[in-house]
Amino acid sequence: MSQKTNIAVEVKGLAKNYGAVRALNAIDLQIGAGEYFVLLGPSGGGKTTLLRLIGGFIRPTAGEIYLHGNEVSDLPPNGRPTSMVFQSFALFPHMNVATNVGYGLRLQSMPKAEISERVDAMLEMVGLTGYGMRMPHELSGGQQQRVQLARSLVLEVKILLLDEPLAALDAKLRKDMCIELKRIQEKVGITFVHVTHNQEEAMTVADDLAIISAGDLVEVGKARDLYENPVRRFTADFIGENNIFDGQITDTDDTTTTVDLGYARISVNNHGQKASVGEKAAVSVRSELLQLVDADTATSDGLQIMPGEHRETVYLGLTTSELVRLPDGNEIMVRRLSGGTDARKIDAGEAVQVGWRTEDGRLHLS
Amino acid sequence: MQDDYSSIWGYRLKWLYTLLIVVTLMAPVFYVMYISFNENGFGARHYEFTFDWYVVIFSDLLLLESFANTLVLAAITVVTVVPMGLIAAKHYKITRYPVAVVSLMLSPLFVPADILGSALLVFFKNLNKAFTALGETLGVSWFDTWFDLGYFSAIVGLIIYTLPYVFVVILITMARYKEQQTEAARSCGATAWQAFWHIEFPQIRAGIFSACSFTVILTFNEYTRTSLLKGGYDTFTGVLVSQMLNEGMSEQSYAMSSMVSYIAIGVIGSIILLTLVRAEQLERVARAKAEPVGA
Repeated sequence: MSQKTNIAVEVKGLAKNYGAVRALNAIDLQIGAGEYFVLLGPSGGGKTTLLRLIGGFIRPTAGEIYLHGNEVSDLPPNGRPTSMVFQSFALFPHMNVATNVGYGLRLQSMPKAEISERVDAMLEMVGLTGYGMRMPHELSGGQQQRVQLARSLVLEVKILLLDEPLAALDAKLRKDMCIELKRIQEKVGITFVHVTHNQEEAMTVADDLAIISAGDLVEVGKARDLYENPVRRFTADFIGENNIFDGQITDTDDTTTTVDLGYARISVNNHGQKASVGEKAAVSVRSELLQLVDADTATSDGLQIMPGEHRETVYLGLTTSELVRLPDGNEIMVRRLSGGTDARKIDAGEAVQVGWRTEDGRLHLS
Repeated sequence: MQDDYSSIWGYRLKWLYTLLIVVTLMAPVFYVMYISFNENGFGARHYEFTFDWYVVIFSDLLLLESFANTLVLAAITVVTVVPMGLIAAKHYKITRYPVAVVSLMLSPLFVPADILGSALLVFFKNLNKAFTALGETLGVSWFDTWFDLGYFSAIVGLIIYTLPYVFVVILITMARYKEQQTEAARSCGATAWQAFWHIEFPQIRAGIFSACSFTVILTFNEYTRTSLLKGGYDTFTGVLVSQMLNEGMSEQSYAMSSMVSYIAIGVIGSIILLTLVRAEQLERVARAKAEPVGA
């Protein structure tokens, strides 16, 4: 049994199978108390399965779950110090907002006056003062999610689980609600475990992130670290607009590894990773760190260069993307802020060179 | 394909057709009601309006007793079969083998009433023989009448008969219910029973009530299985059939049948009316909300 009391959620060897289908492979994960933790990954990857296992809605096939140091693997949802906010609006349609929010308190046989007081306080926190008598069908999508949030927070649980809570909202509302969720979490100070497939949403709210795909825990870390220095190739591919070059290692030492792409050789800081000559590897560079350089610029220790053919310029408002085809046929993206004075019009088919600083490349051995 | 509503006559013809079907279905019932007020009874040349036959009901002990017997059978069947159907419907929603569950639950519908009744008759007779023999072996007489034909065997037959219908009616109602609401209740601290009683049941109780009503109607309607498994002619349908076969239905039987119809139509009609009124209220509220706010 885990002895760490500053860990809110700990899972050890947690797995879930549905017949022959492995929804979750043996996962070990720790979530700190008071964190806003996000489970991010593609649809069908196992993030919701993991969340529902933590919440007690499904039984694990193997492994253990600890919440604040207590093993809860065999406990039902109502026996765990958790509450959940669902993707589709799980408000009780036959109850008004106040009754919805106060439902859990009534189950605790709390006096009516106290329930009313706590419900009012919670509605004020989520910005729904005066909405107590409304019915769920009279609320907008964002309002319904706030009521769900209030209903969970009023119980003063230690861990709040959120299963893609913003997926059904439009883009503008989703952005506003992200900030709202973060504000509320910082105010109440409890652990939030939030599932999403939307990386912008994840980056907005997360203190820490876990990338889950195909039932595996790919990588865990701070949101900024996963964005700027992902260790796994999958993470680099999933988070941010990264360009990934696959090749084979031809040379390596304690600090620098050289990767042969076939049409070019590039060097990258390996940050102490143990690479072997002949091993397959990938190098990723964020699209905003690539630049189109002059034709006479050569590869140096400080700068990595590769040739390409300009395909298209895509204007996206804040940024403009230049699509470049490499000699092996793959396309990469060079992103810059729109409206720069040094930007020139490049014709489709024009030969170009793409460059980046050596320290901006990241080596991925898996 | 042409929109029918572009032709007003097409629209009217559709309504007329629907009305004709309803009239065809309900005509026998209305005719029985009409006869029940005739002092001279069924087939008489002259019609004289009277309430007398409704009064005579309460002095016809055979009719009253048969009605009471059937009501008891209906009540016991309802309290047994509706929970069974509900549990089966809930299992259907979570099972990985829904086709198997539906097939099993609906299988009694594919066995004709007389075959099922006869099979159950043989089953209970053999069961009775076996338990009597067991009692004789043990030297006791406890088991002698356990499976005699009577209320118990009739109720078993009625449960088998009504369970498929109850299952389907409840399943249709539960189709709109989202399981996430049960999970939400559980995550608020509710036990499985509390989640069902506070959250799910209020939303499916219309279906539960419909299933109860349907079971009562089916029980009153049932003749073959009940006759075989209960014996005698002391159920409501049994008395009516017996009268029809022998001396013709008595006038108070028409009155009693009409009363049952008034109750059934009244209950169902009220539910439909309330539902329509409520829907109209909700639509008015929604329309009011949709209108732009004045400056």
